[in-house]
Amino acid sequence: MRFETPLRRIEEQIGANFGEFAGWEMPMSYGSYRVEHLAVRTSAAFFDLSHMGRLKVEGDPREFDYLTTKGISRFKENEMTGPQAFLNDRGGFIDDFMGYRVSEREFLIVTNAINREKVISWIRRNSSLSVEDLTFKYVMLAIQGREVWKSVPKPELDPLRFVMNVNFLGVNVFLLSRSGWTGEDGVEIWADPSNAEALVKKLIELGVRPAGLITRDSIRQEMGFVLYDEDIDENVTPIEARYWIFDLDRDYIGSGALKEQLRAGVKRLRVGLKAKKGETKLPRHGQGLYVGDTKIGEVTSSTHSPYLNRVIGMGYVSSDHFFLGMSLEAETRTGRITVKLSDFPLI
Amino acid sequence: MGEIRVGKYVILDDRLYTETDEWVKLEGNTAIVGVTDYAQKKLRDIVGVQLPETNREVQAGEAVASIESVKAASDIYAPLSGRIFKVNDELALSPELINQDPYGKGWIFVIEMSKPEEKERLLTPDKYIQTIKQREGL
Repeated sequence: MRFETPLRRIEEQIGANFGEFAGWEMPMSYGSYRVEHLAVRTSAAFFDLSHMGRLKVEGDPREFDYLTTKGISRFKENEMTGPQAFLNDRGGFIDDFMGYRVSEREFLIVTNAINREKVISWIRRNSSLSVEDLTFKYVMLAIQGREVWKSVPKPELDPLRFVMNVNFLGVNVFLLSRSGWTGEDGVEIWADPSNAEALVKKLIELGVRPAGLITRDSIRQEMGFVLYDEDIDENVTPIEARYWIFDLDRDYIGSGALKEQLRAGVKRLRVGLKAKKGETKLPRHGQGLYVGDTKIGEVTSSTHSPYLNRVIGMGYVSSDHFFLGMSLEAETRTGRITVKLSDFPLI
Repeated sequence: MGEIRVGKYVILDDRLYTETDEWVKLEGNTAIVGVTDYAQKKLRDIVGVQLPETNREVQAGEAVASIESVKAASDIYAPLSGRIFKVNDELALSPELINQDPYGKGWIFVIEMSKPEEKERLLTPDKYIQTIKQREGL
């Protein structure tokens, strides 16, 4: 069975093409991901993120600290933690997530859609914290863009702060935060389905373009943000992923493994990839990176960046071959292409 | 020219089709070839097209071009044997033309047919509609 966004009907009316992502039927694009992508990078666009797992976690903050790489105790009420992670005892990712401190003993988290159920049972298994799944209760929208405040009013919120039960654009929303996953400014909103539908209508009226998950993917790759199951999983650590979202001054599940890896070093490192302009072949997840006949790594994500007008991606190379700035070859279905090992962000 | 809708997919009644989702428009001894609306919708946003060389002799069923989309790469097969007579160079810079206008500006190549009798093996619009309906359970 596939889950469906509660906004399906209105999104169909405004031209969404639907497709499957992590077990959800979601808008993939509204005609052209290039146009949507450039809207984020030059003006503004909104995304439906209702597939993302949203959980309310309640209990002793010290217990939550022990499960997570950045914890919750040192964050104030109405403050977000930024991205952080649950790790296994080998330091591998159970999930990377965003945390919100609502009150002393109440926290919200946004998980990858694909990990929602795993995270719920992992928290329950490893703590006495209570977990409530709010995913199906609220719709999640993100309004993002370089010129986003030209289209929507700028809320009185610093980055990574949130407020609850407020009015935004004349609609009551459960949560409003100054955050995103695009590298641009903007807000993210949780609202019940009927209010979210009113919000979508309002955004269309204001000339904010809808964008689908294909754009979400090309935008996050430009920034070098990872996607769970493509670029990270339970066998990859934050150090190998160069995803610096962990504390070293306290203990939590996986912290021992991370400290050991920092001492001993790692075998592979995540790196960005840029092809030459005019190259149209995409190296896909799992295809090799080569110096001559020697395979030195693998591609994990790729796309065509409408902003750079070139093929980009990311992957892992052996740490002995972490040659930033060097051009080497990536395998594609129809022959190798040249890619330059590049640091993030790629734009 | 009539437009037939099967679910969200458009099929035109003025041309023939293949099982691999190419369309073929016959004009004299040439055949214009592209991919169907069904194919472009399945592929989603197309970011690159590798075109065949002109004057290349091809056999029916031979992979002669490929399309790269954000979702996957897929081959385009020659529906008929003959010589590649012309290719749509505009696709090199604007591959999204296939998404925007699959039956018009998104044409891919033209074949000068060497075995015109092969066209009998192509699917009529009705047959292609049945194929789509079956695949989609419509």
